[in-house]
Amino acid sequence: MLSTIPKSWNVKLKPHLFCPGCGHGITFKQLGFAIDGLGIQKEITMGVDIGCSLLAWNFLDVPTIQTHHGRTTPLLVGYKLVKPKRIVISYMGDGAAWGIGLQNIIHAAYRNNPVTVIVINNENFAMTGGQSSYTTLPGTITPTSPVGKSPELGAGFKGPELIRNVAHKDAYIARTTVTNPIHLLSTLKKAILAQKENNNFALVEVLSICPTNWKTGAKASLDMAFEMEKTYPIGEVK
Amino acid sequence: MIDTTKIILAGEGGQGIQTIAKVITEVAAEQGLDVSYIPVFGVEQRGTPSVAFIILSHEKIYYPRFDSADYAIILQKRAVASVLAYINKKTKVVFDSSTVSVRDLPDEAIHSFGIPATQIATEKFTPKAFNLIVAGKLSRVLNLDEDQVWQKIEKLLGKKFKTPEIKEKSRQAYLSGRKYIFELKDFSRPTFQPATGKIIIKNAEKTAQILPERCKGCGICIVKCPVGALKFSDTLGVFATPVPEIDLEKCIACGNCFRFCPDGAIAVEKNKKLK
Ligand SMILES: Cc1ncc(C[n+]2csc(CCOP(=O)(O)OP(=O)(O)O)c2C)c(N)n1
Ligand code: SF4
Ligand code: SF4
Ligand code: SF4
Repeated sequence: MLSTIPKSWNVKLKPHLFCPGCGHGITFKQLGFAIDGLGIQKEITMGVDIGCSLLAWNFLDVPTIQTHHGRTTPLLVGYKLVKPKRIVISYMGDGAAWGIGLQNIIHAAYRNNPVTVIVINNENFAMTGGQSSYTTLPGTITPTSPVGKSPELGAGFKGPELIRNVAHKDAYIARTTVTNPIHLLSTLKKAILAQKENNNFALVEVLSICPTNWKTGAKASLDMAFEMEKTYPIGEVK
Repeated sequence: MIDTTKIILAGEGGQGIQTIAKVITEVAAEQGLDVSYIPVFGVEQRGTPSVAFIILSHEKIYYPRFDSADYAIILQKRAVASVLAYINKKTKVVFDSSTVSVRDLPDEAIHSFGIPATQIATEKFTPKAFNLIVAGKLSRVLNLDEDQVWQKIEKLLGKKFKTPEIKEKSRQAYLSGRKYIFELKDFSRPTFQPATGKIIIKNAEKTAQILPERCKGCGICIVKCPVGALKFSDTLGVFATPVPEIDLEKCIACGNCFRFCPDGAIAVEKNKKLK
């Protein structure tokens, strides 16, 4: 039978809570397929952060925990110590990963804790109204940068490249994008397998789209995501 | 108008509740009334209630809070809970009968009037003009001057009227709200429900499935279709936005729409060969 969604989605609670055209939905589509494809739905525990990612507390039909801003990774590190057979996925926005929770990611990567971190980089603080963040590109107009973000505030924060410097040598670190679902799927699979098969830390940054705060339609959103790739290159971060 | 009118407007973020409130209070103030306006909304973008507390008075307003409203305007089912405490048997309750049923209202709401704002806006004007229809009706009930109110709307929303056409449609929507006469009807069923069920389309080689109850009308599938086989139709999805329709003759079953749809609302498959 033709199905429009992955088996691991919690179908009773759809439509989901993300906005129309949101990149979180596209990511969850492929995350769902990755989980279906690897046949590991029963082994997964999700952790979702503060920010739009929390809207996914009931997205997948798997046990899900929601915690304080930026603290999802250490929570799951602890959980995994107690339940080493579970496969844990720490899901958050760029604000959580590269701002308020940066120290947690750095240490988890340094210690090579077996967690899979997924960071949705939508270039702003989406849940609170689209304010400019570290990942916002220079010149972008947001509620807190009404004349365009000043280039003096940096060219765009590259979290995975930073983490790479301190991460354990076996850690898997990569970047992918919602504009390429096939790459997105294969990257997510590798990041889950890094934890499942080799007990390694894995981090995937997903370049995402936020039509609500960007105030863009479908085409402009996708175009802007392509533009992001110039600053945030796709692929494994070595 | 009686000496003091207490109004509560309730809906959801994104519905333009606070815009209606600003229009009403600013015009009333310009007409020499004493006004107070307290907006209440969350920082979140979606799904949280947006409420406006308004007082218009010929006398001095000493305190902007009130316990019972003379008018309660309810534009979203989920917002009812946040205004329950302000509705009593004397409150005149006006609600969007296209999306809210009288059954959603509290028992105290014995004077309730439906106005199918979402339906009128979508069918006759543009879906976004829905709050202007409400602003039109409310400003009429409150005896605020027709032109003055429109000028205020123009001033507050001017930037959003990107073309003269949109502006004219918005003005017509506003005027239709002013002219709208409440009807005595059975408002137990909202008139404007998104389509439900599955749309299944088949030909010899392919089968397509579209689920209006999940589609949010983002248009990503349409942009990502390499052969232009998708376009918006008249069917409405969960947010009362149009749902795509598919031209199976053009479709090459590449799977892009299915891969990209953030809401899992569409899929196309090649039919399995029967042996
Ligand atoms: C400790 C703490 N600080 C601040 C906030 C306010 N807050 C809520 S969501 C958010 C932004 C989240 O941005 P991001 O992590 O990029 O996720 P997005 O919403 O963009 O997906 C902030 C700052 C909070 N909830 N908790
Ligand atoms: S605000 Fe942006 S990131 Fe958040 S759900 Fe809406 S589109 Fe997605
Ligand atoms: S399957 Fe491909 S060709 Fe067919 S409608 Fe979807 S995107 Fe277009
Ligand atoms: S991508 Fe999905 S939600 Fe968006 S318009 Fe197409 S079917 Fe609807």
